[in-house]
Amino acid sequence: MPRKWRTSAKTILPPLIPFVVLTLTGEWIVRAGIVPSYLLPTPTAVFRAIIDNRAELTRAMLKTSGSAFAGFALSTIIGIGIAVLLSSSRWVQRAFYPYAVFFQTVPIIAIAPLLVIWFGYGMRTVVASAFVVSIFPVIANTLNGILSTDPALRDLFRLYDASQLDTLIKLRFPAALPQILTGLRISSGLAVIGAIVGEFIGGDGIGSVIDVARTQQRVDKVFAAVLMASLLGLLLFGLINLVSTLTLRRWHASEQQP
Amino acid sequence: MNRRNFLASSFAAAPLCAILNACGKTPAGKLRLALDWKPEPEFGGFYAANYANHGLTVDILPGGSGTPTVQMIGAGSAEFGTVSADELVVARARGNDVVALFAVFQNCPQGIMVHPSPNMNSIGDVFRSGTVAIERGLPYARILEKKYGFDKVKIVPSPGGDISAFLHDPHFAQQCFVTSEPLAAMHAGVATKVFPISDSGYNPYTTVLATSGALLRDHPATARAMVEAVREGWQSYLASPTATNANMHGVNPSMDLATFAEVAEAQKPWIQTADTATNGLGTMTAARWDTLIAQLKDLGDISQPMNAAECFRLL
Repeated sequence: MPRKWRTSAKTILPPLIPFVVLTLTGEWIVRAGIVPSYLLPTPTAVFRAIIDNRAELTRAMLKTSGSAFAGFALSTIIGIGIAVLLSSSRWVQRAFYPYAVFFQTVPIIAIAPLLVIWFGYGMRTVVASAFVVSIFPVIANTLNGILSTDPALRDLFRLYDASQLDTLIKLRFPAALPQILTGLRISSGLAVIGAIVGEFIGGDGIGSVIDVARTQQRVDKVFAAVLMASLLGLLLFGLINLVSTLTLRRWHASEQQP
Repeated sequence: MNRRNFLASSFAAAPLCAILNACGKTPAGKLRLALDWKPEPEFGGFYAANYANHGLTVDILPGGSGTPTVQMIGAGSAEFGTVSADELVVARARGNDVVALFAVFQNCPQGIMVHPSPNMNSIGDVFRSGTVAIERGLPYARILEKKYGFDKVKIVPSPGGDISAFLHDPHFAQQCFVTSEPLAAMHAGVATKVFPISDSGYNPYTTVLATSGALLRDHPATARAMVEAVREGWQSYLASPTATNANMHGVNPSMDLATFAEVAEAQKPWIQTADTATNGLGTMTAARWDTLIAQLKDLGDISQPMNAAECFRLL
């Protein structure tokens, strides 16, 4: 086997096997009558639902992607900004970090009607929901990364009289990158969830498709829409992995192949 | 069961039963009654019923927005549940053998609530301007869309009982339970006008006690006892709701006792009609089911015609 094929088999096969096994099992337990189709649609029914509703799903996907990306981008920028501020002094951290935790515990469904009043129906509410749900992991991981810079290196910077800003840009921030990226990976999935929950109350997108399909007892269409949402999550996740590879491969163990 | 199915189920049934709870269909022990909303006066009779008098032990499971009671009955995670008639017809068309036993609301208590204005005189006026919060997937939403068109209004998701957007915006209309949200708005100092959905000609039975075809076949006596207990429960609740209201208020403290009393009074004409005066509370007719089936077929929610007789059973 040519070498190129062997490497692609190595990367494609591991995720392909669980997919095939799960799909076949799903198809079988419904066809054998073990689980009725109104509780669990067969993979073929889900696939058919995707084909039959492709125009609607594509439109919904574009809307949800836009909102999830926007919410995630806001979380990234504002979250890293907040973490840098918090890291500036112990005092600031003690004073404000507890309030950052607030974001993690907001029951988004409870404040959803308020989001609608503040931001109106439509995309702004959806973006706000994605943002609120996804910012905390960015803050927590970035802060942790910045605070755990190697003390020896910090001493070295102090020895050379480096300014606070220089230390931040040249040492603390790059050293925190692996943790920041971990935070972003967690946030990316949350941003998609946040956007869909936002759409339940703000309208449009995959959230709206799920809501309507659920009311119509179209389990196949619900699963089709959920599958679209997972694809979106995977896309965001893949994007961060790409950034991670590009920025870390020269120096961090997590991105170096053994 | 043919041989292939038997083999298949013996392999997979054990873990699946744990998940779906589908095997415990012997109604000897506790019966579960799944509600599709919080304990409120629309379920008063179910809470007032004395199940023990009929030899039954019943656990009432309160629900919330989107509780899939139809699927729960089909999956066997509840022996009984409250559903709406249209939901039941669609479920049957999808192979979920669920049967209606007792219809609490003879006329559909869903409506559209608007801010009163001289231009709002019929349900069609709702769709001339402003924002309308409505669950698009519901059959009645699509019937209204067909009839009046939604292109002049902004359609937004239903806030599920929350009225803050309505209070905030004078051009906001929302779907409601005619005995619920309008009262809440009144208490908040905002006047409302309500157009019942039935004005549009769509009038499914609502808050319908239903069970699975299997239970009805294997344990008809249990089903009959349940219906009798529920009918007596409703008779007693309609006559004097106070004690039951206090009881439900304990489970759902977010509704105060005064509102409980008000709603219990307001819903009476939706539950007691000319039909129930002659045939008893909870009664249903094949003609009404036929109309509903025809409407749902027209909408494309079901593809095959259905026999009304298989949808409900009067015990």
